[in-house]
Amino acid sequence: MSSAPYIPGSSAPDSDCVKAAFPASVVRLDSGLTVIHQEISTTPVVVVDVWIKAGARYEPDTWTGMAHFLEHMVFKGTEQILPGMFDAAIESRGGLTNAATSHDYAHFYMTVAADDLPHALPYLAELLLHAAIPADEFVRERHVVIEEIHQAWDDPDWLGFQTLSEMVYGDHPYGRSVLGSPDSLQERSPEEMLRFHRAHYQPDNMQVVITGGVSFDQVMDLVRTTFRAFPQPEPCPMPGLVSPPRLMTNPKRTLTLPRLEHGRLVMAWLGPGIDDLQAACGLDILATVLAEGRMSRLVRELREDRQWVDEIASSFAVQQDCSLFVLSAWLAPSYIKEVEQVICDRIANLATTPITTVELERAQRVLCNDYAFSMETPGQLAGLYGYYGALATPELSLAYPDYVRDYSTSQLMPLAAQYLSPHYCGTLALIPT
Amino acid sequence: MTVSTAPKQNSITTYLSNGLKVIAIENPAADIVSARIFLPVGQGHETPETAGIFSLLTSLLTRGTTHRNSLAIAEAVEYVGASLGADSAADYSLISVKTVSADFEKIFTLAAEILREPSFPDHELELERKLTIQGLRSMQEQPFSVAYKYFREGMYGTHPYGFSSMGTEETVSAIRRDDLLEAHRQTFRPDNMVVIIVGRIDPERAVALTDALLGDWGAPKQPAPERRLPAVDSRAYRIVTPQDTNQSFVIVGYLAASVNHPDFAALKLLSTHLGNGLSSRLFVELREKQGLAYDVSAFYPTRLGPSQFVAYIGTAPENTSVALDGLQSELRRLCEVPLTDHELQVAKNKMLGQYALGKQTNGQIAQLLGWYEILGLGTEFDKTFQTDVAAVTIEAAQEAAKRCFVDSHISILGPAAAVEPLR
Repeated sequence: MSSAPYIPGSSAPDSDCVKAAFPASVVRLDSGLTVIHQEISTTPVVVVDVWIKAGARYEPDTWTGMAHFLEHMVFKGTEQILPGMFDAAIESRGGLTNAATSHDYAHFYMTVAADDLPHALPYLAELLLHAAIPADEFVRERHVVIEEIHQAWDDPDWLGFQTLSEMVYGDHPYGRSVLGSPDSLQERSPEEMLRFHRAHYQPDNMQVVITGGVSFDQVMDLVRTTFRAFPQPEPCPMPGLVSPPRLMTNPKRTLTLPRLEHGRLVMAWLGPGIDDLQAACGLDILATVLAEGRMSRLVRELREDRQWVDEIASSFAVQQDCSLFVLSAWLAPSYIKEVEQVICDRIANLATTPITTVELERAQRVLCNDYAFSMETPGQLAGLYGYYGALATPELSLAYPDYVRDYSTSQLMPLAAQYLSPHYCGTLALIPT
Repeated sequence: MTVSTAPKQNSITTYLSNGLKVIAIENPAADIVSARIFLPVGQGHETPETAGIFSLLTSLLTRGTTHRNSLAIAEAVEYVGASLGADSAADYSLISVKTVSADFEKIFTLAAEILREPSFPDHELELERKLTIQGLRSMQEQPFSVAYKYFREGMYGTHPYGFSSMGTEETVSAIRRDDLLEAHRQTFRPDNMVVIIVGRIDPERAVALTDALLGDWGAPKQPAPERRLPAVDSRAYRIVTPQDTNQSFVIVGYLAASVNHPDFAALKLLSTHLGNGLSSRLFVELREKQGLAYDVSAFYPTRLGPSQFVAYIGTAPENTSVALDGLQSELRRLCEVPLTDHELQVAKNKMLGQYALGKQTNGQIAQLLGWYEILGLGTEFDKTFQTDVAAVTIEAAQEAAKRCFVDSHISILGPAAAVEPLR
């Protein structure tokens, strides 16, 4: 039950330049529930991955941590299912189950033998629709979540990422920790959690993705009979309206931490949300050109040649309201200033000088193959469809490789000018006490 | 779940004339080919003076050959969006390749080159040495890693499994280029290697390609060096590390049977019963019922030499003592109270189901079967292991627990006020 943000990989089952028809069926039931199914006849397993728009962004300010805590409490059963019964039912037959929560969504997944699906799916549906949130379990599980928070507080990279998020997202909910804080959790009640559940775990917000060795007809029969009788939505405080975050300043911070063996320099820029996936793909290309692989610009310059950093890497993640472009360096604190200057120069350069064709082609192949490699198992496929389904449409999951391949070097410059200014980025340094 | 997730096998297993074993398995499901080149050398061949040499050696394989420098190798791989890596572990070293099928031949050819003709350039050695030392230091940032390091050192002493696979700052600083060349000359040889290729590729073509690239590689006359697996002097041991953390970590473990020991399958089952998943004994008793922890689990790695059976928990400092008692009483219970029929059956289903789920991708299949080969168990161990697990009885599980859970090794890390009383 982690809260790690999902970082979408890179596309089509084959990396040929063929615009494939969407290989899964997408059905919207009368209730508003979306069902996504793809039969993979060569596998004897079935994956169910249910994505719900009930992440931390839907919490009112004072309820920070509620969405993630609820994800834990869903496993505590309903009036029909005692705590632990679901886990035992799935795992005792050799299956796997778990869940994760991010700002935009919570998702719950299980992998079972195809023959076990009719046995397993009713349990999962019952938990998701009718979570009971028993008061004694609420108090006990809160200790578990608080331990999860304490563990995160002992992790310098988690602390760095959280601090940077607060710096770049401002008042937007993305700036708050998905885990919440021990104090914020202490003030919440099981009744409030029940309201949050009844308000958000509704069919309109839910994508049920089922992939693997099961037919369309069987899936539809099973989903129709198990994901029914949703409870009445209950009124629940909502967060104020927030506009997509924009970073119009240049926040800088230095955090001193105990037991740190490396310094860290982390710089972050905000990009477009999922509604402009095409632009996001362009930024993904630039992140790869800059710092993915030994041939990338910053790895070559800063780690291999100058040896100012022990490691430098980029990450790029698309979310609902914006994407996040991050460069992270692990280095001796004495080099932080020089490295920051080099990064700013190289970032600014992207807006004025086109990257080479060789660089572009390398990045395109790396991203498209990573995408193909990320669709090898039914579980990976279900995760991909569910993620795009929850944030946009499942079909959009197949757009990625075409968007990536269609870029030319000249199209990337305006993108860099728009999104990657050294004047609009958050900069965080971590140094030992 | 006892289904098989392995592909319908169109496969070849054969030896080249120089003794190299090749396994090729066709799996047309995805446009991907994964390959592993396994060598039976790893930490088990290291001494307290050379700890980390195979980690350093393998990290340098992609950093230069007699024909190409580091950049040229990276360029060839990254330009087609493939992956090519090398690594070492307790009982083996390996080179891994993953490509879309059209690029496989090209990248596998490069893999053969870094395997046979690494040049260990001086400046690349210095860079990797620096990165390795920094990697060793960064492990000190994570409380669990620190607690586990002391646990392992206390358990194994100077046995090679007692060191991090990266060695120590002292040993890594002392390794010279000549040492790497000599280790490569002695231990990287076709007569003890296994190549396994899985994916969308005709097995005959895969074998022919391997023969073309590696078939002319002669084995040295002198025999390969033996593993250095001295007996471990196992005495109960407890180390307490005060550190100003938000959480305490408690690790309790025992020296445990190697993969060749008759108790292997029973201990794997016990480790599953205790620590695997949301319905496992430790998870239910210590997390679900008592809310002591977020992270509580157990593991028992597959090793040619003396392995370890470990249970651990991360908990609030004020609960350190309760958590230690909890782990100890759960381990003791396995010796004193036989599993019920239901518990045993659940552990078997869980173990075998998840084992099947661990063989879904070409890379997972190549890794598992190649590993069994290089451990000397043969790919048939894939079946034998599952049969052995299914055959474990309640009595056998309890006897295995009694034999294993004798002298406990304990490592406790956390704020001084919480952990000092537990010395």
